[in-house]
Amino acid sequence: MSNTRKKQWRWPLSPETVRSVLSSHSILGLAFAAVIYLVCVTGTVAVFAPDLERWEVPATPVARSLSDAAAARAIAEGAQHAPADTALYLALPTPAKEGASLVAFSPTFERKWAVAEDGSLSDLEAGWTDFLIHLHVNLHLPRSWGEFIVGLTGVALLSSLVSGILAHPRVLRDAFHLRLGGSRRLQEADLHNRLGIWALPFHFTLALTGALLGLSTIIVAVLALLLYPEGGMKKVYELFLDAPPPVDTRAVPMPDIAALIAQARARAPQAAPQNVMVERAGRADMRVTVLSGRAKLLVQQDETRFDAAGKVVADEHPEDFVTGTRVLGGIGQVHFGWYGGLAVRLAYGLLGLALCVVTSSGVTIWLARRRDRGRPAPQWERIWAAVCWGQPVVLCLTALLARFAPEAPLPAAWLAFTVLSILASALAKTVPGPRLARAWRWALTALLAILALIHGAAALPQGGAVLIDAMLLAGSAGLLASLLRGRTRTTA
Amino acid sequence: MIWPASLLLLAGGALGAFLLRRSWLRRDGSALGMIAGGWVVLLGLLLAAAFLVGPVKGLALGLVMEGIGALAVVWLGRVRRKAARLREMEAAPEPLDEPGRLWRGVLRTLLAGPLGMTAAMAVAFCVTVYLPGDPRTRIVIGGLLMPVLWGLAMTWTLADRRILRATAVLVATSVVGFGLAHLGASA
Repeated sequence: MSNTRKKQWRWPLSPETVRSVLSSHSILGLAFAAVIYLVCVTGTVAVFAPDLERWEVPATPVARSLSDAAAARAIAEGAQHAPADTALYLALPTPAKEGASLVAFSPTFERKWAVAEDGSLSDLEAGWTDFLIHLHVNLHLPRSWGEFIVGLTGVALLSSLVSGILAHPRVLRDAFHLRLGGSRRLQEADLHNRLGIWALPFHFTLALTGALLGLSTIIVAVLALLLYPEGGMKKVYELFLDAPPPVDTRAVPMPDIAALIAQARARAPQAAPQNVMVERAGRADMRVTVLSGRAKLLVQQDETRFDAAGKVVADEHPEDFVTGTRVLGGIGQVHFGWYGGLAVRLAYGLLGLALCVVTSSGVTIWLARRRDRGRPAPQWERIWAAVCWGQPVVLCLTALLARFAPEAPLPAAWLAFTVLSILASALAKTVPGPRLARAWRWALTALLAILALIHGAAALPQGGAVLIDAMLLAGSAGLLASLLRGRTRTTA
Repeated sequence: MIWPASLLLLAGGALGAFLLRRSWLRRDGSALGMIAGGWVVLLGLLLAAAFLVGPVKGLALGLVMEGIGALAVVWLGRVRRKAARLREMEAAPEPLDEPGRLWRGVLRTLLAGPLGMTAAMAVAFCVTVYLPGDPRTRIVIGGLLMPVLWGLAMTWTLADRRILRATAVLVATSVVGFGLAHLGASA
């Protein structure tokens, strides 16, 4: 017996240190809970951005393939509808991304089109999807500040993951425990720990890449100050981006884009062209870049650049890219789950939901612990119900608003709904937190079904995709089942 | 390729977790074969995915899909109990209660926030400056290190009750780190 005890593995931290780390986990989690939760919820939905765009604009053509001639036609048509200094980005259909799209972008102009298989363009202005992505990326705050706050949230999540692991000495003993229906605190703790541990690589990767994406501006600014005090941030960016050709605004005819794509394909036979970028279309300082991807590589690493006359000015392949450039290119792919098509988007959606539950249950454990100790915080219980279940409801309301009033300012509407929901919940002193949470869940169940039916009814006759509608209906049915099951148990 | 690989990894994650759970149910560590089998399935499929789908793409896909497969096993093994009070043996460790003082709260916020960020940047940029290799790779490594170090600094400063020690270490790290990085950059 004593021998067995000696061999038993012990947690490397003392019980007192574990409690200190748990205290740090608690403080950090509570301080950032609402922002982490908002970023996680919006991120989970934003994973489906390509599907959401088609959901919002059901008549969008989805090209299965695009010939070189059709690609050239799309770019020529896009150039006619955009100012001369605009860059045009054509995304071709790939195994990881269905459909083709064209974006015209400059600091003062942005427009997006879906590209049909014959190269014709149709508007793809998905206002709600844009709103959602910006809410996730910068909370609709001024760009640098918003991104910094989201980056800081990523750091807080990273720190919470580390402290969560260090403060979990029963990680092996409880590895498969999921005890539901008993003590509320134990149920939430089991959910929090199991979802946190078994999906840890996903949570860690997302927090790290998200933090880096958010903090990139400040990192580059300080690095520039340190490494290139005279060149500034421009000098750091120049390391990663090719300097544009000297300015020459003379008008020139467009080169034969189809021939350039074919030439790029011939230069990298193992890769398939995936993006065509035309900068300053129709000007003598124009630059055309064809980016190609290989099946086993995460990031496009075959790049052929042409000048305005269609002459090759640069031709790079995987062996020409340094590790840093590859890693940098892969950060967005891994963070947003762009690399594997619908299968990966669905998986990211599921694990994103898991991260939302981890965040939400963290606060619930704290609230339950207070209640167990005879120090309940009913106002915080109501406020957390308004954040946890209220935010999905608010997002549904903004989606309905975008549907019926496309010109409505969605960020302002989101802010108004959020403030109102939290204030109303905080002031509703006669309603207990759990009952309020239940009311929010009923509202969410109804709104998910309404959204699905409204959009589905419009999309079906036009032959549009109903994937999002099916997911909304499944979510609504799942919530309804859990609400009814809860009611049966209470009655019993 | 992605769909079949995803389904295979999902099933493999579930199988690996199932084997680990079987050994876990015995509680005495006697089922070493199942522990080894579980980990061989999980790690073997990750390696296979890295080889067949792509070194980074396959690994990323494997970690995501196996995680979902394992969670499915946890979900299927759930137990439903009647409402009861938490028993002593089930209780997780409790966080340490500290008397709340405003100055400590403010100082901890400063330590975990701006000072932690400065110290993390100082160390990360030291690595960027002194690491051999292409500057782009060094910049990206430093950039990736910075949030990790800041996160660790946050955990430590919020957990350490000796707040002045944490302050001293972070200030010293910032000064020495940025000093060394500046020296290295100007050399």
